[in-house]
Amino acid sequence: MTDNRSSLRPREDAGVATAIDGVVVLDGPDGVAVTMTPDAAAQTADSLHAAANEARRHAGLGPGAQEGAGPGA
Amino acid sequence: MLTRSVLLNRAAPLSDAERGRLETAIADVRTFRAGETAVRQDTPIQVSLLLVEGFMTRHVDARDGKRHLVAVHVPGDFVDLHAFTLKQLDHDVGALTDVSVAVFTHESLEKILVDDAALAKRLWFITMLDAAQHRQWIYRLSSLTALQRVAHFLCETHARLLAVGQVRAHGFTLPMTQSDIGEVCSLTNVHVSRVLRDLREMGLCQLRSSQVQILDIQGLVTAGLFEPGYLYLNPHVASQAVGHNGDFHDR
Repeated sequence: MTDNRSSLRPREDAGVATAIDGVVVLDGPDGVAVTMTPDAAAQTADSLHAAANEARRHAGLGPGAQEGAGPGA
Repeated sequence: MLTRSVLLNRAAPLSDAERGRLETAIADVRTFRAGETAVRQDTPIQVSLLLVEGFMTRHVDARDGKRHLVAVHVPGDFVDLHAFTLKQLDHDVGALTDVSVAVFTHESLEKILVDDAALAKRLWFITMLDAAQHRQWIYRLSSLTALQRVAHFLCETHARLLAVGQVRAHGFTLPMTQSDIGEVCSLTNVHVSRVLRDLREMGLCQLRSSQVQILDIQGLVTAGLFEPGYLYLNPHVASQAVGHNGDFHDR
């Protein structure tokens, strides 16, 4: 049986951020549609980046795994 | 006839006799100015209102101070038929434009319930239509992108207005600001503005001065992942709503 519950699985496509009139609009993936101030967007980006590296460490993958093995990890 | 648009072109239309019976049950006709609240949340209600002319909304004022539009009503909609059983609402009903409404006392609806099972079933169908639309709104907000949400909402409004004969010359009146559309689609003004620009540049539709001009209904339907089954339209109007025949815009 095919599992069509795509929303229950991690997305493999990325959201797209666009700067418009002094704010940042984030579209996708899936139903994500938010507008943020530049500061909130930058903090979100930092948080996403850190979480992505952490998640890679969990999976033993990519640069996150290497960063995780370094000092201060 | 004030009930002319009720269940017009739906899968379960009113018979002439049922429409006549409903018409005779009208107790009064009232008007509300744009922006006026017609029904207040948590207030005991003894009547239900049928929207005859204009647009109304159901909205919830959240604790964060934001207003959330949870339904937009077009002529032919009972805006608070559910109050017949609930006796008070968990949301406000407001006039988006100047409107006129037909007033039904709950006593008269009770009489229909007792005396006319077929008509009572039609009224039940109306509240089920409400529920179907609310389910679709949940889907729209939880699963669609910003562009899809706006395209879906425009397709839905187009289809509902088609059913009541208020689509003319490739377009319809949508007396909503970008902020209103933002409340429907849970988007900021700037996001709505960007999406509307995208839809225009894609050659699908344009919104100007409260007029939606549909340039490519099939393209808009595809963009919004719109499937009109939940509106329970008759087959002819359902086809028109997705542009499956050439004269979708004129009735």
